[in-house]
Amino acid sequence: MVRKFCLAFAVTASALAISASAWADITILVPSGSEGDGLRAAAADYAKMKNTKVETVQAPYANVFEQGANAGATKSGVFDIVLMDDPWIPFFAENGHLEDLTSYFKGAGVEGPDSDFLSKSLAICRNPYNSGPYVCLPYVGNAQMFFYDAAKFKEAGVEAPKTWDDVLKAAKALTEQGGGRYFGYVFRGGQGNPVVADFMPIFWSYGADMFNADRTKVTIDTPEGAAAMKMFMALRDVSPKGVESYNANEVGTALAAGTAASSINWPNWVATFEDPSQSKMVGKISFSPIPAGTKPGSSEIGHWTMGIMAASKNKQEAFDFMMWATTAEQIKISAERGNPPVRTSVFTDPELTKQEKFRHYPVLMEAIQASTPRPRHPKWPEIENAFGIELSKAVAGTITPEEALKNSQAAVEQITGLK
Amino acid sequence: MLQTGKSASVRRRGPLEQWTERHLRYLMLAPTVLILLALTIFPSVYMFYAAVHRISPNPDLPWEFVGIGNFARLISDPQFHVALRNTAVFTIVAVTLEFLLGLGLALLLDRFIRRLSFLKTVLMIPMMLPPIAVAITWKLIYEPQFGVLNEVMFLLGLPVQAWAGDVNLAMFSIIVADVWQWTPFIFLLMLAGLASLPVEPYEAAALDGASSWRQFWDLTLPFLKPVIAIALLLRVMDALRLFDLVFILTGGGPADRTKVLSLYIYQVAYRFADPGYAAAMSLFVLFVTIVLSTWFMKRMRLAE
Repeated sequence: MVRKFCLAFAVTASALAISASAWADITILVPSGSEGDGLRAAAADYAKMKNTKVETVQAPYANVFEQGANAGATKSGVFDIVLMDDPWIPFFAENGHLEDLTSYFKGAGVEGPDSDFLSKSLAICRNPYNSGPYVCLPYVGNAQMFFYDAAKFKEAGVEAPKTWDDVLKAAKALTEQGGGRYFGYVFRGGQGNPVVADFMPIFWSYGADMFNADRTKVTIDTPEGAAAMKMFMALRDVSPKGVESYNANEVGTALAAGTAASSINWPNWVATFEDPSQSKMVGKISFSPIPAGTKPGSSEIGHWTMGIMAASKNKQEAFDFMMWATTAEQIKISAERGNPPVRTSVFTDPELTKQEKFRHYPVLMEAIQASTPRPRHPKWPEIENAFGIELSKAVAGTITPEEALKNSQAAVEQITGLK
Repeated sequence: MLQTGKSASVRRRGPLEQWTERHLRYLMLAPTVLILLALTIFPSVYMFYAAVHRISPNPDLPWEFVGIGNFARLISDPQFHVALRNTAVFTIVAVTLEFLLGLGLALLLDRFIRRLSFLKTVLMIPMMLPPIAVAITWKLIYEPQFGVLNEVMFLLGLPVQAWAGDVNLAMFSIIVADVWQWTPFIFLLMLAGLASLPVEPYEAAALDGASSWRQFWDLTLPFLKPVIAIALLLRVMDALRLFDLVFILTGGGPADRTKVLSLYIYQVAYRFADPGYAAAMSLFVLFVTIVLSTWFMKRMRLAE
């Protein structure tokens, strides 16, 4: 009884806090930044076209997860749709916060999303990964790319880096020449999500992974993991002082300002690099899929996906909106608003690809097709935090790389209960 | 004064009116009590209730009663120990520096502040800024490659530093930003305290030939004791809740060197979706704050 009262109180408070949305036909929770702005604009178009009321609630990145999780845990029904970063999907789905979309597809007379979507974009929307029912639809096609200053790399004797050894060779030479004001490589070393995000592609490129295939064993502390860690530490040694606190903004700024020659980052930085008001490197930054280690390179996928909250009272309306927003026509409009697409037809649309600002599309499409999702586990935020602490310690030099792997293995085993 | 018959007649009051009159004081208190119940008592009781349960993020799973289980976890949680140690270091160093600087500034400027009242306003600015704005400002100052601090270091021929990214400097950098923001608070309280000091004891001490230092030690400090106690108490309580600066500047890193209790509680509650354990940690912080405050007030004899 007390619990029900408490829950009712929490729900009422949340509902009052977002009172404007309480009267909407569909309420969507979106992140700040271009992804959220794109969907907000689409929602406004939809509202006008269908003469319906669509409200968008915008929050900073971390708060989107918190607000979505809170709404799910309290069954508040405050939000009908949540625009989710893909590593959150297992948490939301396995805790019963998301609606299984199977019956809605049947109602619409289709089996599921059409084959124009990229296969990797669809795979992350199923839970379990690539096999279970659809719990969301892909909207923004993010996957990391490798950015580099081709002229500087050429000066350092590397034409187009294909492997991490190539990157290290060029980066070493450029940092040595840089005299403490210019660096060959830069990465996100900030504790938690940033350092994990920039380590995972290297980890995968050396054949390592966090779990075995059926998720019954933690496999961080392995020879493959050690090889990846060795390369990561070598790259750290040619990076600027202070990367221990860097996030995507600092990395992107270093590249745009021409103080660093290469890095891993998200595709939305292409626009910044090509904007003369924000970049000294217009037309000078090249991009490629993630370089290879001992295995082919693989970037981290970071799609933004739309899911219907299980407690939503407007599920059919929400599904109709999601289907409309993810049509090829709308994904193309979204691409023009700055969000990478998730459909082959948009990636290859000549109207877009002939424009300079979309010249990275072939590489990005290749990167998505070669991408890997972050380990699909409902406790991923906790796993990422533990792994991020150990990586941060290794980057800061307070423990050895070997200790970082050993400690991460133990921490993730404890969190997941796998031994 | 004569009264007419009509005005002199006493109107008979109904039972509701009589009841209202009898209970008026309670009725006037009721809104405050209700607000307190809703905003303080209810959340506190709810926090106690949550702290003794394991709460799943899945709403279909019942809350599991674990008794003192969440509190027992505190003993064996290394991240909690790190956060506790960092919070203690931050609180002791930051509050001590703020106190010494605030008191020093107040003593220095006490005589001139009336003539230079604009100076007081300028010194107040950091305190009036929202913490998030302060954090972002310092993030820009500390930025390793483009930050103004490293530009100055470079111009002076000194080695540039990763202020928020170096394990040995990160906590120091956060303390500096906090000292910048909150020293004015201590300064303001001390200034008010100095303005209220009696003149006679100082005149007597001067006649006896007491040095300035003697006067400060034997008169000013004892007179200021209640103000100092309040200032330190408020700052300690606030320092124990440090969040914004750490969240923006370092995210708890590098290598966990700046992870403080508030940040860890936030992570556990919202990122790891474990509100029961977070409630237990919050209660621990509340307990520490109450114990510290009580001890401190007794020590400073504030109650007298």
